[in-house]
Amino acid sequence: MFTSLEYSTIDNSKWRNLPPPLGFSASSGTSKGPSKMSGSTADSASYVKLKESRAWEFAIAPAKSLPMQAFMLYMSGGGVQIFSMGIVFMLLMTPFKNIAAINSGFAPFEPATPPTKSFSALPLQKVVYVLCNILTLAVGLWKCRGMGLLPTGTGDWLAFESRGFAPEITLM
Amino acid sequence: MRVPLLRACLAALSLLSTTYALYESEAGIVDWHKSLIGVPLTGSLGTAPSFHRATKDDGWTTSLIISATSSNVLGALNAEDGAVAWRHVFAANDPIAVFKKQQSTVAALSGPGGSTLRTFDALTGDLLLEKRMHAPEHGTLYEPESLGTSVAFVPGSNNLLVLTSGHTLASVDGKTGETLWKWSSEDQGSLIIYSRIIYTPIAIYLLGIAKSTASFTLHATTLSPADGTLIASQNIPSGLPPTSPATSFLLLTNPNSTRTPHAVWLDTKNGLSTFNLTPNLKGSVGAWKGTKYTDVIDVGLAEENGLFVAIAEDGQSKAIRLGDAGDKGFEVVYSFPDSVTSPARSPSIYSGGFDKDGNPYIARVFWWHTFKVNLSLIFHEQGGYIQTLAINTATCIGKVFAFDTNTHGVMTHVTHDAGPMGDQFATRFMVSTSTGGLQMYHTTGGTKTRLDWTREEGLANVQVAEYVEIPERLVIESGGADAERFGDRLIRQIIEAKDFPRYAMNFAKRFATGSYASVSESAPASPTDGPLSRDAFGFRQVIVAATSYGKVYGIDSSNGEILWSRVLGLGWAAEVGGKIIPFKLYTTRTVADVGEDGEAGTPQVVLVTQRRADNTLVDTVLFHIDAMTGEDSRKQSPTADLLQGFDIISGPIVEAFFLQNSTRTVVLFDEYMQVYLYPESTESEADFEAAASSLHFQVRTGGPDARQLMGHSVMLNPELSKRFVGYPTSALALPAHEEIQSVIPSRRGPVASIGKVLGNRTTLYKYLNPHLVAVTTASPASHPPSCAIYVADVAKGTVVYHAVLPASGGACHVQATLAENWLVYHYFDEDLQGQSKGYRAVSVEFYEGALVDDKIKSSDMSSFSNETTRVTAYDRAYVSQHGISALTTTSTKFGVTAKDIIFATTDGKIQSLPRRIFDPRRPSRKPTAEEVEEQLVQYEPVLPSPAQRILSHKHEVANVRKIVTAPALLESTSLVFAYGLDLFHTRIAPSGTFDVLSENFNKAQLVLTIIGLAGAIVVTKPMVQRKRLRERW
Repeated sequence: MFTSLEYSTIDNSKWRNLPPPLGFSASSGTSKGPSKMSGSTADSASYVKLKESRAWEFAIAPAKSLPMQAFMLYMSGGGVQIFSMGIVFMLLMTPFKNIAAINSGFAPFEPATPPTKSFSALPLQKVVYVLCNILTLAVGLWKCRGMGLLPTGTGDWLAFESRGFAPEITLM
Repeated sequence: MRVPLLRACLAALSLLSTTYALYESEAGIVDWHKSLIGVPLTGSLGTAPSFHRATKDDGWTTSLIISATSSNVLGALNAEDGAVAWRHVFAANDPIAVFKKQQSTVAALSGPGGSTLRTFDALTGDLLLEKRMHAPEHGTLYEPESLGTSVAFVPGSNNLLVLTSGHTLASVDGKTGETLWKWSSEDQGSLIIYSRIIYTPIAIYLLGIAKSTASFTLHATTLSPADGTLIASQNIPSGLPPTSPATSFLLLTNPNSTRTPHAVWLDTKNGLSTFNLTPNLKGSVGAWKGTKYTDVIDVGLAEENGLFVAIAEDGQSKAIRLGDAGDKGFEVVYSFPDSVTSPARSPSIYSGGFDKDGNPYIARVFWWHTFKVNLSLIFHEQGGYIQTLAINTATCIGKVFAFDTNTHGVMTHVTHDAGPMGDQFATRFMVSTSTGGLQMYHTTGGTKTRLDWTREEGLANVQVAEYVEIPERLVIESGGADAERFGDRLIRQIIEAKDFPRYAMNFAKRFATGSYASVSESAPASPTDGPLSRDAFGFRQVIVAATSYGKVYGIDSSNGEILWSRVLGLGWAAEVGGKIIPFKLYTTRTVADVGEDGEAGTPQVVLVTQRRADNTLVDTVLFHIDAMTGEDSRKQSPTADLLQGFDIISGPIVEAFFLQNSTRTVVLFDEYMQVYLYPESTESEADFEAAASSLHFQVRTGGPDARQLMGHSVMLNPELSKRFVGYPTSALALPAHEEIQSVIPSRRGPVASIGKVLGNRTTLYKYLNPHLVAVTTASPASHPPSCAIYVADVAKGTVVYHAVLPASGGACHVQATLAENWLVYHYFDEDLQGQSKGYRAVSVEFYEGALVDDKIKSSDMSSFSNETTRVTAYDRAYVSQHGISALTTTSTKFGVTAKDIIFATTDGKIQSLPRRIFDPRRPSRKPTAEEVEEQLVQYEPVLPSPAQRILSHKHEVANVRKIVTAPALLESTSLVFAYGLDLFHTRIAPSGTFDVLSENFNKAQLVLTIIGLAGAIVVTKPMVQRKRLRERW
């Protein structure tokens, strides 16, 4: 049995009307008071802008990490070993994970609060994000191809080819 | 430079080390070898088997039986156990004409007219002397070969007198081979053919036959022994029987008497006549008055002991000696009893022999159809009978011997020697049989004889041989009937369950300590009580082999033992005599097939033979045999009797094929291309009818200079015949002067992969046309003479591959094998375009289309498609170090294992080489990374010949004619059987035995580790639990 502290159960009503400690909220609250009304629209606009720029950053983050991953791939070599395979798996898996979690990933940057978590929000960023992830995937596949793991040649499908019997029978 | 060289060496090493090699411990365990000498030539005294007592270095004597054989071997067998003491294999173009033996030397003349003289050590067979008497092309050949050639030893010296070509006598120093003198008759053998020599210190007598206008007369010539000058030469007034002039005269001497040598012959006018020979040939003809003789028989005692056997008109045989007693020196020593011609007795065979002291004996052997021995207890219906006559004492002892005519045919020749046994004497005698068997008997006290040993020399003439798989041993009996009620079954199972604890114990014991069957051990012997059964890996199969001596054998492939043998019956031709020549052998029922009674049946084979009766009629006869026991599957002939066949075609056969669809049917074609099916059941007929429209086969047609390989189909025209008839559809037209030498069908077996994947993962699709055959041809008339090899599609007649090869000395010895898409051929290249002469092996692989990834689906494409010739051949030629006499590939159950090439070299070795060496895509430069991935190594022109790949290791496997391979149950292993003069069998794993546990797998260690770990778990589990509990607190 684990015990946990449930702060929500504390009945804080009797503490609510306590004055804030000295030099805390009252002065700041009053000083910011006048600007609150005039700046609320400007502030929220800048806030949305900030969110948007953060969303862009988030969208191209996979592409940014590509050079590093490419370097790692280069260092891991062309052989099929546990290390190179780990990196390749990571490269192949992350794009799918990312795309699967695309809406929740962009949720903090959505202008609407609470976040809608729908595809219609931040569509451009999401498209770029998907493209960047596909880029990562492409790098992973390129590596796979380099290691000879992609069944691209006819030789890879030879075992699945079948032949029937010849229509003529030669007696020997 | 150093690094590539090192790499090349490493690559070569890895090539050899990763492949199969024979370990010393496996020699004689995984293989067996039967050394044979061949069937003795019993036609003439000069080549027939005879006893010879040779003195060893330590003073003891040993008895050998020396014989020339139809396999062109001069061989000696130990009389004691029948083992081959020594043998000398003569070349095919050097037939043995005659051999003579004296104390420690055996002299043999061979070749046309006796062109080569060889002398051998009688004990060891070491070649002492080899001398060319004349060029083979200058030799005169007579019929029979022994006519006109003879050898005589000059007593008291090493010299030999050698008569060659019927007209030249040479005196040869037996030590140095120097010709001391040479004499040739004036007419060079055109009129007079000499055939007998007698040496006396005062003259050398030559006796031969002279052709006169009407008949043959005897001709005698005397020469001086010192220098070979002619003393006298004249015809003896005589008339020899025109049918057998060469065998109806004898030359007699008896050193123990004062008589001069005599000539004895059967005169057509005067009967048995004599002529006393003196150096000036002034003798007189004496006729034998009284009894009329019809035959004189030389038993090998005439020229040294003055003895021969004469047969009177009524069949009465008499031993006659030239000596001091009797009428003019001739004395009838003995008249053999029971020798008057009688339907109860077969014609007699006479043999001359000696005892240890050199006293002569004559044996008479015959087959007695019905006789009874009343005096003693023996009561026989029939059997062999031997009478041995001691000449010195004129006593004759008759004995019965148990010759089994149903397993050995009839007796054709007997040779014997004798030894004293108390006041009597014992006889050893060896019987040669018509089936190629040799049987040694010896007489003991009373009327008994004992069989010492039997050799099956007929196996030196195996014509067809096939492997037949045998079923597993039945361990578990099936319980009860099929329709068993539930209650009964419950009761039975409860009763059977009482054995469960014992079973569980056994299982645990076996699991912990039991050993597994090992591949490098010989297959365990089949249990003697039950029927024949296979071993764990299927190494024990039955090799069914049929010989040209009318006998068929079942041989255990794991140890070479003869499991059964049957003599092929002649059917109606038994009246007139004849010969059965095996043609093809097919397995008509395998272990996987279900027999008529619904249970898994025993495997059966059908032997297709041609019977040539002595009245020139030829029939096609089938023998349907149970491969496990040799029983007649048609149940027509009793077990201990001759195997009677089934006359399917009254006429010769053109071709025989095997149709393997839902049934296994033998398809035979007679001269009119009519189809005969066997078994003649409705199922096989329906099967054939269903397949008839798509059947194709090839037949060689046309006379000399117009030979063709014609593709045929079959059709049914009910108005003309109720049988299907073959008709030609296509022809592989060869140039007018080309003769087909052999047609080699492609080896059929499972194909594991339809393509070859290259390093860049593209595919070369194999050209797997199922209608391919390889055809080797010779065109001796062209200038220069040449040979050729074709690979052709026989359904359509298209040539897929063609190469013209040089002929060696006008002859073509091209060996080829075709498996899947791979052709290997081997030939002798005689100075082609300034290059050095030598053997060449060429490996060709066929792939579909022109490029990689090009596919035409050749294996299931119609043969009449235009695409069939879209094929690319990759080839590489190699320099081979050996002449080879047989070539084949290994075959495995699923075709996954790489195929090895197996070949028999002309110097008596069986060798294998891996396919990788023969890969025609081996690059001429250093292989690139992709090529390394394909395991290609750099091309080297010379084929390696590593000693560890000689499968026959220390054995000499002489004159191999064919190598048969068959899959074992293990995919990795292929069985190899080579036959020719010798039989040799081994098994080979071309890619290593990857499908069995390695030999050094340590089972004890594994079991101990598991037990240890289990123990550790038991010990540590409570400890861990306690610790966890403590952590909680």
